[in-house]
Amino acid sequence: MDIAILSAILLVSLFALLLTGLWVGFALLAVGLIAMEFATSAPVGQVFARRVWGSMNSWDLTALPMFIWMGEILFRSRLSSDMFEGLAPFTRRLPGRLLHVNIFGSALFAAVSGSSAATTATVGRMSLPELQSRGYAPNLAIGTLAGSGTFGFLIPPSIIMIVYGAATEQSIARLFLAGVFPGIMLAAMFSAYVIVWSLMNADKMPAPEPAPSWSERVRAIGLLLPTVLLIVAVIGSIYAGFASPTEAAVVGVTGALLIAGVSGGLDWNSFRDALTGAAMTTCMIALILAGASFLTVAMGFTGIPRLLAGWIGDQQFSTYALLAALLVFFIVLGCFLDGISIVLLTTSVILPMVLAAGIDPIWFGVFLVVVVEMSQITPPVGFNLFVIQSITGRDMFEIALWALPFFLLLVAAVALLTLFPEIALWLPNTMMSN
Amino acid sequence: MRKTLDRLYGIALACACLAMVAIATLVFVQVAGRVIDRGADLAGMARLGISVPSLAEFGGYLFAASTFLALPATLRAGVHVRVTLALKPMPPTIQKGFTLLVIALGFALAAYATYYLGAQSWTALERGSVSYGLIPIPVWIPQAFMTAGLGIFAISLVDEFLTTLSGGTAAFRQAELERGTGEGAN
Repeated sequence: MDIAILSAILLVSLFALLLTGLWVGFALLAVGLIAMEFATSAPVGQVFARRVWGSMNSWDLTALPMFIWMGEILFRSRLSSDMFEGLAPFTRRLPGRLLHVNIFGSALFAAVSGSSAATTATVGRMSLPELQSRGYAPNLAIGTLAGSGTFGFLIPPSIIMIVYGAATEQSIARLFLAGVFPGIMLAAMFSAYVIVWSLMNADKMPAPEPAPSWSERVRAIGLLLPTVLLIVAVIGSIYAGFASPTEAAVVGVTGALLIAGVSGGLDWNSFRDALTGAAMTTCMIALILAGASFLTVAMGFTGIPRLLAGWIGDQQFSTYALLAALLVFFIVLGCFLDGISIVLLTTSVILPMVLAAGIDPIWFGVFLVVVVEMSQITPPVGFNLFVIQSITGRDMFEIALWALPFFLLLVAAVALLTLFPEIALWLPNTMMSN
Repeated sequence: MRKTLDRLYGIALACACLAMVAIATLVFVQVAGRVIDRGADLAGMARLGISVPSLAEFGGYLFAASTFLALPATLRAGVHVRVTLALKPMPPTIQKGFTLLVIALGFALAAYATYYLGAQSWTALERGSVSYGLIPIPVWIPQAFMTAGLGIFAISLVDEFLTTLSGGTAAFRQAELERGTGEGAN
């Protein structure tokens, strides 16, 4: 069959199946079956079984349930209130004051959790009511949270990066480290925006609070210390080459259980909820992964990715033009799909093309993650919007509008990353177990 | 019947959770062994040399078994991601039609997957395939757990289909409606 017609059939059936409401993993599997049916006489069922087994039976992927579990435990602990009380004294003197708690709190929680929605929910649960009661402008209180909640994906540990690494056979440890500086850069950009906005809109800011006393500061540091230690133990052990991501994750689970146990709030029920929650989230991701890995093989049989890659290679597009085109494509896709589905669809079809253009796969992982972060705050399908909607009861499109400045800052960050790839690639290259 | 089915899904989920705890425990022992040895080196004492043989293989097998055994419970909790955007504006009867359609499609695919993964597991048993590592683990065992998870998943889809057909609301639909969206929760 003509490859153009086959491509069209596959694309149409993919979108038809997705829009019907078929589960994403199944939709990918079904499209893979259609592709195999047309493109090859290979025994489809056996190829399918071997591929699913091969992609699920993976040591790298064991990091996934462990990091998700760690986040689930911390989500149920007192960490979010401790973090708010711990950060508030230090941000009181900055222009924009407690609004920075959203940003720094998200960055900190992102460093112990791999999920954007969990980061948004954990930080927002505590900070939004506080900010509202102190009279901060809702557009910035909610906008900063929606924007910085997305750090969950970029700042390691990151569920998306584990999925990307497993699907593309890249080192998850290096991907994690590549996310550190872009994450810090984004937090700085968001903070700078808040500072500028609050200096320009001084009339909309609530009255200043007194400077914190020394005893307050010491107490605040005490509240933040467990989180910081946990971050150092998890990320530090990966960086030092002392632990694989899975091992670091299990250290994290142990630490999270200790923190939750000591600070209270961990009874049998919350332990069980955290465990089953983690099992189900992992299962959801695994179903999509299984579908996507079969689709990748099926697409290989059709020859479509090879053709696309060859075409891109021949065109001699500048890398910038290709990345700009991909950026627009991903933003549109991100309005309708969740991050993991976007990443896995990409790795099936687009990755060979990207590699053909000479783009570093670790750098592209970071690029993809930042783009996926945008998809978290674009309506009508954006998880952070859903989460904040359920906390505040505000309309989703209103929240999305308030998040727009941060969406634009994410776009600016992508531009910076493209111009200066070292922002992402420097740290993994200094890793000790290189 | 309802009780039996719910117990079946519950047991599968409990096994999935146990597999996760097993991964965590094995890895914890491995890390603790390394930390103790590092400490022994520093103190100039002999290493204990505690480590878990074939950890990478055990981990991968437990992961595969865990994720597939959780499939039915994850379905019923409405955690599996799907796009419900196009359905929202439609009248309830059409929504119901589409719900039945996707469950039927899902069942066909789950049954297909069960059949071929089961066949793969059977072949592995017949050939006596074992893993390459230090401890030879028969490959059919984790594959059989995956097949079991998929089989129970297929049963749970039939369950959801019949519930919807008889005028009830499918468990996953109920969860989605309570949450306000089907587009997952990651």
